[in-house]
Amino acid sequence: MNWSSLLASHGLLLSGLVKTIYLSVLAIIASTVLGAFVGFLRAARVPGLSLILRLYVEFFRGSPLLVQLLFIYFGAAYIGLSGITTFIGALVGLTLYEGAIASEIFRAGVEAVPRAQREAAKVLGLGRWTTSVHVVLPQALKVILPGLIGQEISLVKDTSLAAVIGFPELVNQSQAVISNINQPMLVLLAAGVLYFIICYPMSIGARILEKRRAS
Amino acid sequence: MNPTSDTWAEVFAYMPQFLSGLRITVEVSVIAFICSLFLGIVGAAARRSKHLAARLAATVYVEAFRNTPLLLQVFIAYFGLPAIGLPISAFQAGTGALAVNAGAYLTEIIRGGIEAVPQGQYDATHVLALSRLDAFTHVVLPQAVRNVYPPIINQFIQILLGSSLLSAIALPELTGVSETVNSITLRTMQVFAVALVLYLVVSNAISLLASLVGRYAFRPPLETRADSGSFRRWTQAVTARIPSRGKLAEAGEGGGDS
Repeated sequence: MNWSSLLASHGLLLSGLVKTIYLSVLAIIASTVLGAFVGFLRAARVPGLSLILRLYVEFFRGSPLLVQLLFIYFGAAYIGLSGITTFIGALVGLTLYEGAIASEIFRAGVEAVPRAQREAAKVLGLGRWTTSVHVVLPQALKVILPGLIGQEISLVKDTSLAAVIGFPELVNQSQAVISNINQPMLVLLAAGVLYFIICYPMSIGARILEKRRAS
Repeated sequence: MNPTSDTWAEVFAYMPQFLSGLRITVEVSVIAFICSLFLGIVGAAARRSKHLAARLAATVYVEAFRNTPLLLQVFIAYFGLPAIGLPISAFQAGTGALAVNAGAYLTEIIRGGIEAVPQGQYDATHVLALSRLDAFTHVVLPQAVRNVYPPIINQFIQILLGSSLLSAIALPELTGVSETVNSITLRTMQVFAVALVLYLVVSNAISLLASLVGRYAFRPPLETRADSGSFRRWTQAVTARIPSRGKLAEAGEGGGDS
């Protein structure tokens, strides 16, 4: 294997890594906000809204992210929406898909809090808002956080699908480097190591939170 | 400009191609699922082994594959292996990468399912003087299977949806076929809408079927997708028509044991 050729093109890989991190961070923020919003609304069982939210979640969870990205990115061009860059297409697709999955984590967290907690708050004369924010939420977060971090790990890995619609993130740039130096194994393993360096600490973090919750 | 119905008819004309793509999607997923189940069982056994080397190898396997993207693993199998002298077809590379990836997740699912069986159950097998094999097959395994059934079905659906990535190595599965039909008809919205609906139908069919099996095959019936009230009522109505396994056994053996 020719290490010097890899070192010579490390600039491309690093710019891909930066774009992967940039896309990941924005998608994590957007999908967490969307997921929390949808999850809490579903847990509150708002009549009429429940069915729509459930259809949203089932649709995005039951079909592949890759096809969703193709649908959003190329579909936007098809209906004549201008200004949908590969970055915006990837960000919108990731947010909708990961938001649907995150909403299930938030909903499960809220529903894991025993009913008696709400009843006790009512007896104590706390209002709906105070009960939700100061009684239910802190207990729900203990359940939500480990699952949510696990979800963010999936999200970082899923940003690799943006390569298929042409966003120059890490996998996309690896392919560019491969076409330059023709060392596919070396380049792909190097990209794998970079993903591992991001994801493994997150995995450990999720495990620690999970253990803390269990004890 | 064509009226809307014409653009749909244009895409529906390619239904045989979509369905042949779907067949490859299902084939790849089933083969990968069976292989990954095997890998998961071996991996879980290795992670619980008393030999350090086996535990270490299984841990490295699980962490390496769970902390890198599936797409990258598919590329390593398809572009990387031939470059180091291992020629491999798109079908083999794709199925293999899916299987090895899911195997890492199943290792953790199966290990977790076995470890979730309460210690008291093991203690009871000692008191009853069961052999290690009997204790595992008759006490631990049935409970572990119950624990891992829902996440294993979920993993199968993940394999099915993940197989869409194999379009990136030119395997003509459902997503790959859709891209081809798109490049012919240029009806992007319609083409990918058809693909999305086909994936939704298959993934929901698997999950429905698995819930029915779960209600019927486990005692007490396993509740999956318990969030959906209408679905629960429906499966209860269906399973009520099927004689339960206990009743069948009683009828067959002439009297139950309890």
